[in-house]
Amino acid sequence: MIYSTELIKGTLKTIILKLLVDNKRMYGYEITQKVKELTLDKIKITEGALYPTLHALEADGLVTTKTEYIGKRVRKYYSLSQAGKVKSKEKISELSNFIGTMISLLEIKPKSA
Amino acid sequence: MYCISDQQIDFIVQDISKHGICTESLKQNLVDHICIIIEENLEENGDFRLFYEATIKTFYTEELREIEEQTSYLLHVQGPHWLLGRNQFFLLLFILFIGPFIAYDIAWMFNSRQYSGFSLPAEIWESTTVFALFPFLVLFVLFLTPDSLDPLIPKRSRILIGIKPFIKIIPPDKTPRLV
Repeated sequence: MIYSTELIKGTLKTIILKLLVDNKRMYGYEITQKVKELTLDKIKITEGALYPTLHALEADGLVTTKTEYIGKRVRKYYSLSQAGKVKSKEKISELSNFIGTMISLLEIKPKSA
Repeated sequence: MYCISDQQIDFIVQDISKHGICTESLKQNLVDHICIIIEENLEENGDFRLFYEATIKTFYTEELREIEEQTSYLLHVQGPHWLLGRNQFFLLLFILFIGPFIAYDIAWMFNSRQYSGFSLPAEIWESTTVFALFPFLVLFVLFLTPDSLDPLIPKRSRILIGIKPFIKIIPPDKTPRLV
């Protein structure tokens, strides 16, 4: 089952920031593959959503970029800035609280082992 | 594993530029992304053009320039902002431009209620009507201009009001999607 974009909407920045916390530096394609791998293909980040968001994070000073030439083409590696490290903690905490609230709102019982 | 040539990279750059990708760093991102997909998935003797065309179609819903527009939107909107519908925007303009005249008439009625009750003399409402008429007509024309005449604010467009930019009209086909 692939989650609808409506559900993913609003969480993309947090997903990217969290991946950068765990992986130090990543490039766009790597981010999409990592999300697919970690979510067992349930979340697919589209290129049309990923790159605008990465540019916005860069403009906000939350990520920094470093370019490397792979032959004739350029690969941009993204890593967290100091402000990005602080922001990622805030965003992860906010999303975690939100998920907790949704669980209690929808009366979802945790699965017993 | 397919090995992509410099000519093929040039072709990809030209093609995505032709289809509306003009921000240099976005272009670099997309070229690298497309190249990796091709290198990882196309067989050594596969058809580059066919595979490229099939791949690039998966990047957008209607047109590739959606990615450029989305990027531009996110880069240019800084700080808090409102995204208003067309009707909401005209209501706001109406309140801003006509509201002061109506407020003046109401204030006049309140101030002079002990002398003339809650009536408004003709010289007061006539003068405010004259001053309010021009902005009202301008708004009326702007609101009713059909889309076929290329209006300033097309129907179904959204109006962004913020700090930077202060005001921006987003046509219906460019309304940003966040994912």
